[in-house]
Amino acid sequence: MSGEVFNPNPTVFAPTKASRVAAFAKRNSLWLDDADHEHEEEDESNEPEQIDQDEIFELIRSISDPEHRSMTLEQLAVVSAPQITFDSQVPDRLTVEFTPTVPHCGMSTFIGLSIRVRLLRSLPQRFKVDVRVKPGSHQSEHALNKQLNDKERVAAALENPALVEVLEQCLSTAGRHDHDHSV
Amino acid sequence: MEEDLPYNVQLVTQLEGHDDRAWHVAWNPARPILASCSADKTVRLYNYRSTTDPDTATAPLEFSLNTTIPTGHAKTVRAVAWSPSGKTLATASFDSNIGIWAQDEDDEEGGGPQGEWECMSLLEGHETECKSIAYSSSGTLLASCSRDKTVWVWEVHPDSDFECMGVLMEHTQDVKCVAWHPHEEVRSILASASYDDTIKLYVDDPSEDWFCFTTLTGHTSTVWSLVFSPDGRYLASGSDDLTIRIWERVQEHRWECVSVLEGHDRSIYSVSWSRGKGEGHLGWLASTGGDGLILVWKISAVPTESGRDKLSHKIISRFPAAHGVSDVNSIVWCPRQGMEDVFATAGDDGAVKVWKIAQSST
Repeated sequence: MSGEVFNPNPTVFAPTKASRVAAFAKRNSLWLDDADHEHEEEDESNEPEQIDQDEIFELIRSISDPEHRSMTLEQLAVVSAPQITFDSQVPDRLTVEFTPTVPHCGMSTFIGLSIRVRLLRSLPQRFKVDVRVKPGSHQSEHALNKQLNDKERVAAALENPALVEVLEQCLSTAGRHDHDHSV
Repeated sequence: MEEDLPYNVQLVTQLEGHDDRAWHVAWNPARPILASCSADKTVRLYNYRSTTDPDTATAPLEFSLNTTIPTGHAKTVRAVAWSPSGKTLATASFDSNIGIWAQDEDDEEGGGPQGEWECMSLLEGHETECKSIAYSSSGTLLASCSRDKTVWVWEVHPDSDFECMGVLMEHTQDVKCVAWHPHEEVRSILASASYDDTIKLYVDDPSEDWFCFTTLTGHTSTVWSLVFSPDGRYLASGSDDLTIRIWERVQEHRWECVSVLEGHDRSIYSVSWSRGKGEGHLGWLASTGGDGLILVWKISAVPTESGRDKLSHKIISRFPAAHGVSDVNSIVWCPRQGMEDVFATAGDDGAVKVWKIAQSST
């Protein structure tokens, strides 16, 4: 990561209250930090679980911002529940839109990648996710969207050890729900 | 049920074994071997044979694992390609290198090459992920492409020696795919497809420099896959814009888009064109992608009064969720005689599947 600062003084937003940790997220939210739940999955029936906007949001709200590591994507209003939409025809396809804090944000690719990887690791395979920046929120909107949805580029990025190291740091907070009880 | 289509897609076998996403499959053109490669950095080789069943008079194909090549690539093996002789296998990896593999000839027991697959050569040159490789139809040239925006043309010398004949820096973004024209003419044609939404065609200049003689524009997003028609008159391209375009060679150096095929609703990652069975058409085009759907199109040329053929296309078979919920990354028809109705696919589920299309019974 370069030392360049893209947004030295971001606006911080209060987290939405009463976030509930979805039953689904608890069960599947990462072999990374919920290893003790792994046996529960086997007891599940074959019924596909319905997953809603709030549950998706729950998975990504606590990802750390790569530039301001002490803050979450939710606190910087980069992600929000209403920006998660499901395909009306195919419910397993969803689009997660995010809003960079400034239109020249050089971290946007990385933020998008962290959202993609978090969902890749947490959601059942049947979900196909498109990650996009909010229209008009970034000067390189088209290039960003194209890159974030090119599976080959994403796969190659995830074989880059330096990038993965920073990614893991940003995702290490994703399973935490400290703020759940503080509000 | 699905609408009535003249052919249905039948699963021949499902080959498990890759520990991660399977990216690509390649049929050996001369011997009964199918190769697959994966993010798990291995190549798997399967033998197959047809066993005649006297009761049903059918000849089902039986596949068995021949070997797993660990490759030694440091990252994903993205693509595999066989030389036309079937003796050499090339691997393209995200570690930016190309591996050249052949069987140890020393082992003479059993007759014919039986030995281990060994890395005969490692071609270095690309700066970032190598994404596709292809041998020319005569086997004298190898092309490779990369995220570094370049296409390299290598001359194949004896003893797994390769010489770089040219580095083509025409694209402005990642190059996703390279494909050679099927007929070795005086000057062979090479095509490349890119993240910059274009396709470029190159020939060998008499002064021995390769140059780009045309750029095909029309796709509105990444072009993932290219294949020439078996007769060499057409080129098909599959794109993230959810269309397949067919380009016709209208003059020696002029290609025009003559058809746009629609039917997928996620990125099209792979197209393959075979002669197909039967007469009176230009072959079968198979396509697949992020929607997991396999489509098989019959492509025909219809004569018109103007004297120029009009291309027609018709879906003759479709099979959804070919790899369950997973994306399908590759679809390739078997090039061997008598097996024109067989193709293989590779998916994000790590599986390789072999399929056959058969006439619907109704």
